[in-house]
Amino acid sequence: MAKFTQILEEKFMPIAGKVAGQKHLQALRDGIILTMPLIIIGSIFLIIGFLPFKGYPEFMAGLFGDAWLTKLLYPVTATFDIMALIAGFGIAYRLAEHYKVDALNAGAISVASFILATPYFTMFTPEGASEAIQVGGVLPIALLGSKGLFVAMILAMFSTELYRFIIQKNFVIKMPDGVPPSVSKSFVALFPAFIVILVVWLIRLLIENTSFETLHNVVGQLLQEPLGALGGSLIGALIAVFFVQLLWSTGLHGASIVGGVMGPIWLAATDANRVALTAGDELPNVVTQQFFDIFIYMGGSGATFTFALMMLFMARSQHSKTLGRLAIGPGIFNINEPITFGAPIVANPLLIVPFILAPLVLTITTYIGMSTGFAPKTAGVAVPWTTPPIIGGYLATGGNIRGALMQLINLAVSFAIYYPFFRMWDKQNYQVEQGVNK
Amino acid sequence: MNILLCCAAGMSTSLLVAKMETAAKAEGIEARIWAVSANEVNNHLDEADVLLVGPQVRYLLPQLKKKGQEKGIPVDAINPVHYGMCNGAEVLKFARNLIGS
Repeated sequence: MAKFTQILEEKFMPIAGKVAGQKHLQALRDGIILTMPLIIIGSIFLIIGFLPFKGYPEFMAGLFGDAWLTKLLYPVTATFDIMALIAGFGIAYRLAEHYKVDALNAGAISVASFILATPYFTMFTPEGASEAIQVGGVLPIALLGSKGLFVAMILAMFSTELYRFIIQKNFVIKMPDGVPPSVSKSFVALFPAFIVILVVWLIRLLIENTSFETLHNVVGQLLQEPLGALGGSLIGALIAVFFVQLLWSTGLHGASIVGGVMGPIWLAATDANRVALTAGDELPNVVTQQFFDIFIYMGGSGATFTFALMMLFMARSQHSKTLGRLAIGPGIFNINEPITFGAPIVANPLLIVPFILAPLVLTITTYIGMSTGFAPKTAGVAVPWTTPPIIGGYLATGGNIRGALMQLINLAVSFAIYYPFFRMWDKQNYQVEQGVNK
Repeated sequence: MNILLCCAAGMSTSLLVAKMETAAKAEGIEARIWAVSANEVNNHLDEADVLLVGPQVRYLLPQLKKKGQEKGIPVDAINPVHYGMCNGAEVLKFARNLIGS
């Protein structure tokens, strides 16, 4: 077992470090973060719009008129439905920072490239008509949201790479001396940006001649849908959780590293549920960002909330008691570094077992609970990962008490898994302390 | 003395900040201590005399050390055990040694 942790440290950690430090993945993660505050704010309006109380819609309609829901959801469109635009800007901005080229320009060019790859029409079926007609002068809002997320990600990277390449190769317009620096700066941005727009335009023209018609269809069918199916499956979720836990077992931030790769997939899954909720359709996805944040990682990665409770209330050793008092406060908000580094769990073969096992089992119980309808699926509400257990389950499912119940069941399961290991660990601590005191 | 700490979201590190502030006060040290997420470090580096990195994001250390070198400030990872037990006094000592060296 000691050898196992040594292998983790020596072989696994450098690879994980490389993945996490890779500049495109880092830009992806840091850029997408820009959408988070907005969709959390949008979620507040979403929850209010879909509280599952009997007679609630009628009550609201009586108070604010029949169009209450449409009006209430205005901010949802302005937050959720433009996440691809915002992410595209953010990713390009962060990537440009790495290359030390003008980040604001790179962000603007990325947004322009994204719009350039998006059709300027939508299909609309008028009442009584049998065939949809093409309506111009619009940008399809669905494509600016999670459906366009992957296109925005790809174009943000592509446009910024091309932009910085041209700048670094010095193919820029050189202004003669005497031109004010800010004037020359605005011209400097012009030539690389022109090339980027030119290339994306040619790509659009090219794709319009194929059966795909738009870049959104190419990326959707070849990338976003297959990846979504993979990341949304039970096996996909289990693999992701396993890696998160394995990374944390070496003391690396697993959720941040794995989330950097899987984040866009789960974000898109969250939003697909949100779209279905607002349209009154059945929610399509079990595995979403909130599936992990709220239902699996209660108390932090490793589902250590019950472990913190055990230390607080059931410990004999001084170390466990002290750590319990230290860990419970942050644990309520799903932060558990005091436990992972303080117990420690890192490089501790005894505690690594439940630390990896518990979240895997919870993934299975939650997946079964949600796919059989025993528990509600997450409703697209972007509940912050720091939301305490019970409250989190209630809010993430759009105000459903059975969401909180699912969390309670998961807490009981994680308690059962951690308990025997906690006893052994606490006893070891106790014996060491007694030995020292003698 | 300006001590900047960073981790993934700046949240767990903010726990340590509170403990370090208490320790600084007890020792009568005038210090500004604050925590940010890894992607915000750039905007705070100018104000810092030292950057301490949470052990869970130590994979960022090479990159952050390079940034620190450019600004001429020391950068290092926090001892995992001190980090876990929120040992403010020890981490403060570590920060002071880094600045001193």
